[in-house]
Amino acid sequence: MTRIGKTMLLAGAMTLPLAYVALAQETGGGGGGGGAASVPIPTVSQAMLSAAAGDSKNFLHTNANYDQTRFHPASQINTKNVKDLHVAWIFQTDVRESMETSPIIVNGVMYVTTSFDHVYALNAQTGEQIWHYKHDMGPITVYCCGPNNRGAAVLGDKVYIGTLDAKLVALDAKTGKVVWSQQVADPSLGYSETMAPTAVDGKVLIGTNGGEYGIRGFVKAYDANDGKLLWTFSTIPENSVGVWATKDATGHDMHRDIAAEKAALAKNGDPYKTLGGGVWQNPSVDLATKRIYFVVGNPSPDLDGAIRPGDNLYTDSLVSVDLDTGKLACYFQYIAHDVWDLDATSPTVLVNVKDKNGKTVPGVLHAGKTGYIYVHDRKDCSLIRFSEPMVSQKDRWVLPTPTQPLDPKSARMFPGANGGVEWSPIATNPGMSLAYAINLEQEMTYTVASAPYPDGKLWLGGAFTNVPGGVQAGNVTAVDYDTGKIRWQVKTPQPMIGGILATAGGVVFAGESNGWFKAYDAKDGKMLWKFHAGAGVNAPPSSYTVGGKQYIVVGAGGNVQVDSKRGDSVVAFTLD
Amino acid sequence: MDRNFSRHPEARAQRASKDAGPGASAVALRGPLRGHLRVTVIAILLALLPVAMHAETIEDKAQVCAACHGENGVPVEQAMPVPVIWGQNLGYLFFQLRDFKSGMRKSDTMVPICEGLDRNDLMPLAQYFSKKPWPKLAQPRPPADVTALAQRANTSVVCTSCHQEGFLGDGTQPRLAGQVRAYLEKTMTDFRSGARGNNPGMTDLMKAITPADTAALAAWLAGM
Repeated sequence: MTRIGKTMLLAGAMTLPLAYVALAQETGGGGGGGGAASVPIPTVSQAMLSAAAGDSKNFLHTNANYDQTRFHPASQINTKNVKDLHVAWIFQTDVRESMETSPIIVNGVMYVTTSFDHVYALNAQTGEQIWHYKHDMGPITVYCCGPNNRGAAVLGDKVYIGTLDAKLVALDAKTGKVVWSQQVADPSLGYSETMAPTAVDGKVLIGTNGGEYGIRGFVKAYDANDGKLLWTFSTIPENSVGVWATKDATGHDMHRDIAAEKAALAKNGDPYKTLGGGVWQNPSVDLATKRIYFVVGNPSPDLDGAIRPGDNLYTDSLVSVDLDTGKLACYFQYIAHDVWDLDATSPTVLVNVKDKNGKTVPGVLHAGKTGYIYVHDRKDCSLIRFSEPMVSQKDRWVLPTPTQPLDPKSARMFPGANGGVEWSPIATNPGMSLAYAINLEQEMTYTVASAPYPDGKLWLGGAFTNVPGGVQAGNVTAVDYDTGKIRWQVKTPQPMIGGILATAGGVVFAGESNGWFKAYDAKDGKMLWKFHAGAGVNAPPSSYTVGGKQYIVVGAGGNVQVDSKRGDSVVAFTLD
Repeated sequence: MDRNFSRHPEARAQRASKDAGPGASAVALRGPLRGHLRVTVIAILLALLPVAMHAETIEDKAQVCAACHGENGVPVEQAMPVPVIWGQNLGYLFFQLRDFKSGMRKSDTMVPICEGLDRNDLMPLAQYFSKKPWPKLAQPRPPADVTALAQRANTSVVCTSCHQEGFLGDGTQPRLAGQVRAYLEKTMTDFRSGARGNNPGMTDLMKAITPADTAALAAWLAGM
């Protein structure tokens, strides 16, 4: 950072935001493009958010638009010239830890978040810092899978984030100061926020972390202006039992002992109070029908099904609720009574799809930890088709065994507990009817052990462990969602977690755990460009245009779940 | 410190008024008989003296901890391994005090101490110790083969997915780096057997690694 930059940082820390902005304007910031605060902080209208899919200047949503296609309409960077992509700037945050953020860009101002809930506003052209918010974390934080934050939401004059201590915080977009803060749930019971919120129609929507801790999951809607709670949708109904499904969405037998479960239900009642069902990622929003679509995580405890009889609704499901009321519209459960931690986490995508008769209908896509991409009818959540499996399904339906330390007879299976497709969002190219997913392949051992609800402590009901020396690999797969066929697949040496971006230039961008950030031809998966960022590139990329130039930007901070090399940087690329 | 002295505000008030007689503090200064007055005032003062002297800061209340956890944060050797608590993460310290107090975590030493603590003092005590610097114990780094075994075990159960990179933990997830080796080994063993029962998730994970893994992990983490 320049000396001027450091002065501005100090001034900001002493809570003199106006002076800090004025100082920057006076000093001008030296060569090339003006100082950080010569970029005015924009207000974000609902109209802008609704039109994001066609906005080549900005990246206004975690997943590009309300449909969550992660398809950016700018085509200045294309298959012919992407080989000339080079670094435009690097911003080094104050946090060297797992980075899962999707950068948001509005009229040349970028908002990025880091682990431990820092938020930075940056000049998207130069990477210079405008302001820095560091969340004042409460004493109790209980969360899974890393101290992550997957990004901010923007609406009006505010920037919204969820925090590890289970708060939803609204910041003044101009200064980074807190406008309001709401305690979403009790962190000592295992609730926390690592997801980005979604802002729509004067509301801010947020789910919750905690399926490893015996929570009762939800999606909540808050008033964007004052933080008032508008509605709560509980992902676990009081009658969670369902229909005693014996097969999963792909038609495989799940080896349930229905008789034993019915006996347990009769003895202990419905397990809904501590049944899990977190919501890890943004919902997609159908503005025409005023419905949102999201997927629900695993039941608690992850591996021990014996103490939670029944289908465990609506865990491992696609769910749609009314945007205004939070009332259930439809659902589809991928795996009833899951004992493999194959929860639904990757966010839904709204695209038109061909139904079973070849007719084009509004559809919903979800890429599962199971390794399949599921294609649904948006009207009633019914399943139209599922893709060819993107990862090995070896011994897929073997039940976890009662724990024995490293017993060679323990169940080993693919996919491991991370997938398939973990929380990583997919990208789509609607013109090609292709969906692009990044996958993990990790050989794991599953064991099961029973314990009663531990009051908000870790509650896995067993353990999933990586087999030492076992397969640890990944891939980028393109699936035709109108046929379910895999169009192309590129294998990667390490498990993939983070995200992927498709652009109108015909390019697909995805980072890898070993630090490589690559561009592929969207049509056939040919690698067109790569850059080594020095730490795991395990975050979803964004794109935007400012000063007439298109940029690609991505976080390179590594990741906790795959234990990739940690870093602190946000890197932006452009052409000459 | 007098362990029989109850710090509970009500008990203190009761003791003061018991010594001085009912309503005594209200009428003492207006009492007609000087002899009685003097005795009464002295009685009140004596009763209130411990309260006045021990303004009862958290620092005072934390003094009892130093006997085992160390005046400067370096644990004193006892029959059982004693952990570093100076600089430990706030949420974790709070949960352990809470769990000792309720008996969810068993310990012949810690349970009686925590039972005597006021519920409202648990968070301030946790904050007090979390702000202290973690002591440098200078425990040795283990040989390469032990390190390799520990790293293999970490890859298997991915300890860092909760204990974070560098094993510094966060919030309710404890720091392990530089913790007392014998305490680490005992803790992992107690989780495995269920002797430590306040985290069934940890019990599950410890069952998935061997005692040799546990010993290697303890040496590796202690040497960080």
